[in-house]
Amino acid sequence: MKNIFKTITGLTLPVALLLLLAVPAVQAQIPAPPQEGPVALVGGTVHTMSDGVIQNGTVLFEDGKITAVGTNVDIPSGAEVIDVTGRYVYPGLIHASTTLGLTEIGRLTETVDLNEYGNINPNVRAEVAFHPESEHVPTASVNGITTAVSTPTGGLISGRAAAMMTNGWTWEQMTLRSSVGMMLNWPGMGNTRSRDEALNELQQFIDEARMYQAVKYAAGERNVPRHLHDVRLESMIPVLEGEMPLFIRASELRQIQSAIAWAEKEKLRIVLVGGRDAGYVADQLAEKNIPVILTPVISGPARLWEGYDESYTTPAQLYEAGVEFCIGGESSAAYAFRLSHHAGSAVAFGLPEEEAVKSLTINAARILGIDDLVGSIEVGKDATLIVTNGSPVELWTNVEQVFIQGRQDDMMDKQRRLYEKYKEKQRQAAM
Amino acid sequence: MLKTLISLVVVSFMFIHNLNSQTAQVVGVRENTPAVFALTNVTMVAEPGNVVNNATIVIRDGIIEEAGRRVSPPADATVIDLEGKTVYPGFIDMYSEIGMPDLGSPPGVQTLTGVPEEYLEMIQGIMRTQVTDEVGRAAVHWNPQVRSFYRSAAVFQPDNNAAAELRSQGIVMAHIVPKHGIFRGYSTVASLGDDDANMLLAKKDVAQVLSFSRSRELGGRYPTSLMGVVALMRQSFYDADWYKSAHEAYRNQTGIPQPELNISLASLSDAVGEGTPFVADAADEIGFLRAYDLSKEFSLDMWVLGSGDEYKRIDAISRTNLPVIVPLDFRQAPSVEKPEDAMNTSLSQLRDWYLEPENPARLVQSGVPVTFTATGLRNKGDFLNHLRVAVKRGLNEEDALRALTVTPATMLGVDNKYGTIAEGKAASLVIADGNIFADNTSVYQVWVDGKRYVIKDDKDARGEYTVKNGDVLRNAVLEIKGTPSRLSGTISIGEESADLSSVRFDNERISFRFKGDDLGLTGNVRLSANLSEGEMIGIGEKGDGTFFNWTAIKTADPEAETEREARERPSLALDPLYPSVDYGIRRTPDQPRYVLVQNATIWTQGPQGRMESADLLVREGKIEEVGRNISAPRGAVVVDGTGMHVTPGLIDPHLHSSIAGGVNETGYNMTAEVRIQDVIHPNTVWMYRLLAGGLTTAKLFHGSANPVGGQDAVIKMRWGGLPEDVLVEDATPGLKLAMGENVVRRPDQYPNTRMGVEEIMRDAFLAAREYEKQWNDWESNGNGIPPRRDLQLEALLEVLNGERKTHVHAYRQDEMLLMMRLAEEFGFTVGTFEHALEGYKIADELREHGAIPVVWSDWHSFKVESYDGILHNAKLLIDAGVVTSLHSDNTQIATRMNWEAGKVIRSGVSHEDALDLITKNPAIALGIDHRVGTLESGKDADFVIWNGNPMSAFSIAKQTWVDGRKYFDREEDSRKREEVQEERMKLIEYLLENRN
Repeated sequence: MKNIFKTITGLTLPVALLLLLAVPAVQAQIPAPPQEGPVALVGGTVHTMSDGVIQNGTVLFEDGKITAVGTNVDIPSGAEVIDVTGRYVYPGLIHASTTLGLTEIGRLTETVDLNEYGNINPNVRAEVAFHPESEHVPTASVNGITTAVSTPTGGLISGRAAAMMTNGWTWEQMTLRSSVGMMLNWPGMGNTRSRDEALNELQQFIDEARMYQAVKYAAGERNVPRHLHDVRLESMIPVLEGEMPLFIRASELRQIQSAIAWAEKEKLRIVLVGGRDAGYVADQLAEKNIPVILTPVISGPARLWEGYDESYTTPAQLYEAGVEFCIGGESSAAYAFRLSHHAGSAVAFGLPEEEAVKSLTINAARILGIDDLVGSIEVGKDATLIVTNGSPVELWTNVEQVFIQGRQDDMMDKQRRLYEKYKEKQRQAAM
Repeated sequence: MLKTLISLVVVSFMFIHNLNSQTAQVVGVRENTPAVFALTNVTMVAEPGNVVNNATIVIRDGIIEEAGRRVSPPADATVIDLEGKTVYPGFIDMYSEIGMPDLGSPPGVQTLTGVPEEYLEMIQGIMRTQVTDEVGRAAVHWNPQVRSFYRSAAVFQPDNNAAAELRSQGIVMAHIVPKHGIFRGYSTVASLGDDDANMLLAKKDVAQVLSFSRSRELGGRYPTSLMGVVALMRQSFYDADWYKSAHEAYRNQTGIPQPELNISLASLSDAVGEGTPFVADAADEIGFLRAYDLSKEFSLDMWVLGSGDEYKRIDAISRTNLPVIVPLDFRQAPSVEKPEDAMNTSLSQLRDWYLEPENPARLVQSGVPVTFTATGLRNKGDFLNHLRVAVKRGLNEEDALRALTVTPATMLGVDNKYGTIAEGKAASLVIADGNIFADNTSVYQVWVDGKRYVIKDDKDARGEYTVKNGDVLRNAVLEIKGTPSRLSGTISIGEESADLSSVRFDNERISFRFKGDDLGLTGNVRLSANLSEGEMIGIGEKGDGTFFNWTAIKTADPEAETEREARERPSLALDPLYPSVDYGIRRTPDQPRYVLVQNATIWTQGPQGRMESADLLVREGKIEEVGRNISAPRGAVVVDGTGMHVTPGLIDPHLHSSIAGGVNETGYNMTAEVRIQDVIHPNTVWMYRLLAGGLTTAKLFHGSANPVGGQDAVIKMRWGGLPEDVLVEDATPGLKLAMGENVVRRPDQYPNTRMGVEEIMRDAFLAAREYEKQWNDWESNGNGIPPRRDLQLEALLEVLNGERKTHVHAYRQDEMLLMMRLAEEFGFTVGTFEHALEGYKIADELREHGAIPVVWSDWHSFKVESYDGILHNAKLLIDAGVVTSLHSDNTQIATRMNWEAGKVIRSGVSHEDALDLITKNPAIALGIDHRVGTLESGKDADFVIWNGNPMSAFSIAKQTWVDGRKYFDREEDSRKREEVQEERMKLIEYLLENRN
């Protein structure tokens, strides 16, 4: 019982001091400069996600990269040593499917950059519209989300998703990796007419992209005239070549099966996004090695007869069937920070806690193709880490420190700023 | 010869009655064809249970002169031999819109400029102006839906095509109701012949017709919700009462102004005063009880147009003693052929489809007076088919006949003329070629007020005929067979034969052809003949153009049809479920005399705090004691709580679930008269899911579309209960008010700004004070026009008098502040601020005023006024000493309020304070803290057993108890899932095996 009440230690001392000193001037998240000297986090329990848990471990990083992990690490002189005894070190959390940076207030269309005109927009890139000033970005980062895959939505092909860091001055600096996936919304299967129209449109577009690809390969050959450019078709080439996966949004089981069959026929690499009914076709997903970004987990059952916990148990079902999956939470930018709640609810209904954390770190990184940079605490990867006072998927756990490529977050967001401000109002009233 | 005579009689009979009426001017010579008939050799079902074989019925001028076994046809009668036929009293449809005029479609919406597109749709829904129908600008009710003055007898236009459809099902009379409005006006009774209205109308102004759905065709902007409909009904009945007394006062006193004239209220007042029955439609079994509540409140003689769902709450419905009009438009079978379709079919859909045909039997068996209607059937020809299904599913044939004849005739007050076959009654009869409740029986004729209508032509071409003369086909044998609508046949000459093709028989003319080659004839031989009385008089033409004559006579009757074997379907014997949906329960969970939960971590949220290794003792639904080492009383149900946590049942003070017919009454900006308690709908599976998440109590709210919304209701999750069972009656009543963005969206009405919000509320409260004064004045001197009871101002006055809490939807600190100051101006305290995203900005002010902020854990930024929502809202409020509550405003969230509370711990709130946010504090906010919210001696035994710390993401509810009854158990839940699946599969299998 005692553990349960060992909860809030609040903010770490340096941050708390910073707040005390700077109350009137506190702003939301001021990005730190690139890491200068080496930093060592010592004394914590390190959850590497790739190589088990290290008690009383040290994580050393330099120039934004992890240089050493273990219990027996030589700390270079001049390194900044941060004692995290009694704390836990995890890789930063990855939100695999969000609209962070692309929207601010849903009702204000002026603040929404999600859905480009037209039905087929493979050329548009999320990162260029990522608003570094969005108040939701620091809120995500202080809650431990260091990487957010921002996705365009709408139409048939919505555009390209980008893996963004949640701290930085400009979108350029904040882009961890561009074009991690091509967003495709699989048509609803209930209305056969609109389904067929959409599927025909998709097929025709893929066929055209292949024609464009052939022309491209033939460029420069004898007797081949110059062809005019087409930005839409051009941007499909990495998809056709298997470099960029299609992120196919599909929830209902007919959609999922239709998408799988189509991708097999077209020999395209896909990742399933959504996957409400994925539990019903888990064996097929496992057999065909189709990864799933599950969104959201906290949700009601789709059918009256289903158990009340149908959605909560889907991650455990996928895990037991051997499906590669990660948990994506809600797409709303304002609620990106709720990511860990979705993984935590899956734990309540049967997913091992360690797997829940993996679903927000290394598994997400692998599915997104960014595991060379983030997702685990390994030498050579980005020093993108969080320090917590408990499991990152427990509701009451506080993320105390956040490092993104070695740069320490100031742990300030709009919510904390308003908190400090009105704490001051109460203080004045009490005087 | 006889048949020819009869058809002549019918033709001339029709002619007489096609004159306008008995009082019309005669044009030309008078026609007075005698109308005396004797139907002989019939099986006469004179009334349910009274069958007379070999009877004769004598009809003279439309009236039954004599009927019985020993009756001889009078000398002047035309005798009609009906050997083998069965005669019943004509059937009565109890709820028909036949002959009622349409109003036409609503006028176009005027073009609105400068309106944001997102609001246009909403405005289009409410801006439809009143349609000017025949009432034009008479002194009608302000609301076009109130048309009590409307008299269907005055507008009835006979529609013989529609009548013929009903006659084909044996229906000869209908209770005809107006089509439009909430108060639709007076019904009428008419025979379904082909005469003029003058002759068909049997009784006018029979009942007043009500509908719980508004007619869009009539326009008007209010009500837009079911609760608004109920409020309009209640207010109108009160107004009718006032109307009467106001006009009485005006007649008896001088010096007072004339009260308004209003033909709607006058008619309504008359109808109530004269004891006229009221007919109301019920959308489902809960709607039935809603109609009953209305009948009780206003002492109405109520008939209910049912929905087919009455069996689901048969006990409650039979207790009402209201008669029900059962529509025979049974639901279609859901599609379950494909697995994905079957997956999307719920148990409730399957049960509804399977059980509805048992409804009539269940009603009759429970003593409910039943009548029927064909209304709702797309194909009226299914009326008898469905009736027969109902009989197969347990409806006794006599009861079925009673529901079609005696019961409706009695209810309609025409039983001295209709409903049975007896001397002196109208000759409105059904003649069938057998038992009308048997599958293969056809309606042969119906008689309407002494006039015969042939339904089934008994001319039958089938049989064997031998050609008697003519050179070409001499001695050929024709066999005509098949079904009347698909005839076929053969022709044989000697040993050779050929198939007939294109065999047609229509109005005594038969035609067919055959290939002549095999019979030594040339090409296609085409034949036709007049067929009457078993003789064909025909012509023919061979392929070579040779024309010839022939005649044939019938030499054998067709072989007796083999009865289509009605496949006996097995009975599934489904248990009743309450409600009749997935996860419904068979009976209310027991309330053991004692329940003891032992050795658990008990979060009392009361003075005892959180206790480790503690016991909870419950006695008869109340908490007896929380303590250590409590010994189990004899017979106690003991629950081992080792490793478990026990908390009070969770409370959500703001939910919009389990509400029928709309959460917002958007018709006007001020709708304090509407009440959630009128529209509680506890039939959704979500109530079970809420229990699975540990929620035991919730306040059901009106939405936030208007500054003054409606009255709310507190319910407990007594799954399986009726609205009256789930309602917490001693909760402090509340009224929803709303501020901010939602209420200023409509450019066509006040308010458009937050400034206007304050003013419209001030204005309303001032009006409420004046209303009070008006009543006080009148009660002290009793002179003049009595004040009108105003349900809207009454609710507002209760707020001013502290009898009703205000629950104010508000986001920003400025609007909350203005509301508190306004309340202080009128001397009351704001109950709660709902959402209160910026509550933290005025925590001290809230505490001083005494308002309770009801907040979300972490909602923000979904609209501009929510941009400053922060996770630390509850934290700052708690720190300032403000009683604070969480809420869901969302049914799914309400299933996991413990996680919502767990979230705020991140902002620095303690675990116990976090749990207070969903137990103790919402109980205070709702005025039910005397009963629930903490685990203290004497309070309701509403508690949850968790498998770990309830604030943890990793914990789930194992058991949820309400009133000392276990309504959810995680172990039982897995068994329940299997039961749901088993029953679904049983029904799906049945459906696939027995597809209609």
